[in-house]
Amino acid sequence: MIIVVDGINRHRYTRLLDEMFALRARVFGQRLGWEVDIRDGREIDQYDALDPAYVIGVNEQNRVVSCVRALQTTGPHMLSDVFSSILNGEPPLRSATLWESTRFCVDTEVLDRGKSRNSVSYATCELMAASLEYARDSGISDIVTVIDPVMDRVLKRSDCAPYGYVGKTTPMGKVSAMAALLDCSDDRIDRIRRFAGIEGDVFVDDQREQCLSDEGMTAAESIAPTSSQPTTQDRMQALLQEYCLEQVADAATQEELDAARRLTDNLLGAGLIRENHSLLAGI
Amino acid sequence: MSVIDLSKLPFPEHNLRCFLDTVCAEHELDFAAYAGMNPIQQSVHGFVNYPDEWQTRYVEQGYQHKDPALLMASRSIAPVDWQRLRKETSFQTIMQAAHDFGISEQGLTIPVRGPYGDVGLFSVTRNCSDREWRLLKTSIIGDLQTAAVHLHDHVMQSSILTRKLTHPSLSEREIEILQWVAAGKSQQDVADILSISNRTIEVHLRSCRTKLGALTTPHAVGRAIGLSIIYPV
Repeated sequence: MIIVVDGINRHRYTRLLDEMFALRARVFGQRLGWEVDIRDGREIDQYDALDPAYVIGVNEQNRVVSCVRALQTTGPHMLSDVFSSILNGEPPLRSATLWESTRFCVDTEVLDRGKSRNSVSYATCELMAASLEYARDSGISDIVTVIDPVMDRVLKRSDCAPYGYVGKTTPMGKVSAMAALLDCSDDRIDRIRRFAGIEGDVFVDDQREQCLSDEGMTAAESIAPTSSQPTTQDRMQALLQEYCLEQVADAATQEELDAARRLTDNLLGAGLIRENHSLLAGI
Repeated sequence: MSVIDLSKLPFPEHNLRCFLDTVCAEHELDFAAYAGMNPIQQSVHGFVNYPDEWQTRYVEQGYQHKDPALLMASRSIAPVDWQRLRKETSFQTIMQAAHDFGISEQGLTIPVRGPYGDVGLFSVTRNCSDREWRLLKTSIIGDLQTAAVHLHDHVMQSSILTRKLTHPSLSEREIEILQWVAAGKSQQDVADILSISNRTIEVHLRSCRTKLGALTTPHAVGRAIGLSIIYPV
């Protein structure tokens, strides 16, 4: 699932963002070897201070598995500054309906191969579809995205080939980077969704949004250690309770009924079962 | 920071309040408002086409200091639908007061970020149901984005200092494309000549218009010739 964190709600998602910065450090610092600033295992640059929007993918365990960052091209953004070498020092495109997307990445350590929901391919397509949908719904028609040649191939393979490029492919550490153009049209979004078999709303609902917040995560942690034991205990209790009810109900003679009631009383006394209405009625 | 009401200033080229009225008329909206912060000039600009009584009330109550539509939208890159603000008490307070002046709580604010830390906030409202609003929003939001940036850039250009700093800088490719358009070539012609996609031409032309403060391509061509960026053909 996908969640959008921006300047308005980021104070509620500091843990999610921290995990995202750690993922970016692993991908851009270690795997791709880009010249990025990494401190305490987090990759954070000056554009993260400009209230960008982050489109973040999370798996069922609420772990960050993918992310991308968006900025408006009317204001400061990466192509207008640190990525200007891609544009040969030429001024970047500037338009109200064009956003810049940077730091697109997925966690290849957590995700597997193949095409399941837990695969690199699905997570990549889900993030692409979601970021295009978020942009489209904001009135944006095109995205200029800074990617490496590997990502460029991924886009082409996922039926999402860029319709154009600006500037040239430029060395950036171990690999090179380029600026590709993507339209946020329904047609492109449909193609990506069809390719990966994505159906329905990819964005989290209010309840999941709450779970992913700092508040929600802290709550989940405080319940977690105590909640796992009671579940087996509860199941045992329910089974015993059921057994007692059956014994009482199936008693053919007075003797059997008395024995069943004695057993129930003993178990109740030992605290192994709880009194409930049907049980009391049986007794 | 000083507050400058642009609607009270004579504008040789553009009547900004008139621009708001046009946007409202074209997009079936009730009201529109603009507020902009220019850190270079240390000033806040604003103008609206709300009823005068509401404007007075708004400033009297100091709502600009707590209006979440302004405070929150400036931290977003996407337009902020006021539905997202309904839980905020400050929003409820302002909307209760606004209701008396015929202003509905159905609206959105588009944040504009300029190159020098300048921020513009363009808000529109329309009294209608949630469903109607969703449909209207989908159909006009792209145009509103363009209008918001156009408005913001014009307001920022009204300061001489900012005007000096923001001399339109077009890339070689943008100039090349605009030059071919000036020579009478269609978008598809230019795409064929340069061997790039039609949509790449479209995005470059959109960027040319934004940089030159023009709403149409012919207007951009005129501006570019006037600034000697391209040659008259």
